[in-house]
Amino acid sequence: MRKQIDIGVLFSERADYDLLSLASRAGALSGIEEINADPRRPIRFNAILRDPGGRAESYGLLGDEILRRSRARHIIGCTTSSSRKETIPVLERHGGMLWYAAPYEGFEASDKVAYLHSCPNQHIVPLLHYVFPRWGTDAFLLGSNYVWGWEVNRVARDMVGDWNGRVLAERYLPIGDPDVARLIAEIRATRPSFILNNLIGRSSYEFLRAYAELGREDPAFLPERCPVLSCDLMEPELAALGGLAEGHLVVGPYFARTDRQGPRCSMEAAAHAAVLILADLIERAGTDDPAVVSTLLGTPLFSTPLGPIRIDPRTQHAHLPVLIGRISGDRFEVVWKSEGALPPDPYLSRYDPRTAAMPPVLKVVS
Amino acid sequence: MRRARPKIPHLGGARALVLHRAHADATALLRQLTAIGLNAEALWPDLPADAALADFLFFDVDMACDAQMPWEPGEAPMPLIALIGTEAPGRIEWALKHRADAHLVRPIGNAGIYSAMLIAQQRFEERRELSREIASLRNQVSERRTIVQAVIKLTERGQTEAEAFALLRRLAMDAQSTMEAEAARLLQDIAGGVVERSRRL
Repeated sequence: MRKQIDIGVLFSERADYDLLSLASRAGALSGIEEINADPRRPIRFNAILRDPGGRAESYGLLGDEILRRSRARHIIGCTTSSSRKETIPVLERHGGMLWYAAPYEGFEASDKVAYLHSCPNQHIVPLLHYVFPRWGTDAFLLGSNYVWGWEVNRVARDMVGDWNGRVLAERYLPIGDPDVARLIAEIRATRPSFILNNLIGRSSYEFLRAYAELGREDPAFLPERCPVLSCDLMEPELAALGGLAEGHLVVGPYFARTDRQGPRCSMEAAAHAAVLILADLIERAGTDDPAVVSTLLGTPLFSTPLGPIRIDPRTQHAHLPVLIGRISGDRFEVVWKSEGALPPDPYLSRYDPRTAAMPPVLKVVS
Repeated sequence: MRRARPKIPHLGGARALVLHRAHADATALLRQLTAIGLNAEALWPDLPADAALADFLFFDVDMACDAQMPWEPGEAPMPLIALIGTEAPGRIEWALKHRADAHLVRPIGNAGIYSAMLIAQQRFEERRELSREIASLRNQVSERRTIVQAVIKLTERGQTEAEAFALLRRLAMDAQSTMEAEAARLLQDIAGGVVERSRRL
């Protein structure tokens, strides 16, 4: 008789960012399915599903409900940083644990959270190291007006400074604002080497559409001359973009496979990985008590769709490979890849501006 | 001059001391400091001999006392972060006497530690910069007095005030030093009876 264990699954089914939250949700559910279909596993998972509907404050309320009304001690969930920050106090109150599987801006290390997707040294830092020597260091920084854009752009600003480059402009739009005409005019006038796009959802899609238009009018703004960089664009969003992002650059720990097997994007892969790692740890601990499970996070290697993954027990962040990709049709074509997994450095405490201008240890693959 | 935007420092490899007895709060603090990338240790009741070299000091406001700090109150050579439990006014007063640059309220969790360090560090740097500026201004003021004294001595010897200033300026230019330094040397020479120098000039 396999032991039945409740786990919370907390992703929005409808939100500004639902292409992403639905991918994460699919990843968590396929992970649960994989565990339950494996007769050798001594445990089975029972998903306690809740839909916060894209409202940050609902994550806290529904997280609280999961931990109070069910036996679940672990929640796979949250997409944005604001939803994660709403959930953490609830975890502290009830001794729960969150498995967070989205790229984020770093500068956090809660002992109630396992961070399964990339932090800054695994996304923006290697991406800019790839771009600076190839396209130059005159940056145009864009973001939606909330913490993700502010923080990623702050790191970018510091790195541009370390390379003696220039930040030509740093502009923010309210979340969901589609009015990108002014941004395009400024880009046209300032002629940056690249654009770092931390806009999300509709603003981002509108921007890419208008920028493609600009490239048709002036070839200086074609992707091969002046690329748009993104740290959080996922394959499922490419369909919504209808080819407009072609040739631009992305970074992530995993890209969807050409044979269409496996997870469709890194957020789906990371959520799936979270469930597999959690199952391994519960079996090893003999309990799902987070206080016990979290002490085993440093366990050598977990086999996951992201590859064999290690978790740094000090920060509870995953060691992750870094792939840099060029958008090609409905997928990301790998142009660079790290040698093995990069240890997490959520506070960028190992980032050294004196050596930052040196070429990073990355390997060309095409 | 406009100040550059303060850059967030990378705290990796910095050393933090936690003046605290063995306690869950100390454990939580050490865990978070390590996650942020610092080398951290908790000590009680004595700080190590090289405590003055640490980059941050967290201290227990409830239990600690002056004797545990190897420096005069208010003169710690690093940013101080007060760990406050009982908000008794006497204890807060004591923490203020030691010029805590930031504080954390118990129980200590994961949140707030990173920002407390950044705030403490900025305040500490500002304070240090201010005392440097004050010292340098004081110095300049006292040196102005030296110039005036030298000018008086020179006018006593028959030079006009303008000539005396011009002389000091020329000496400073020739020696590639400052008027203050040349004035001090001149006064020394005169006091020591070495008058050739001034006579020659």
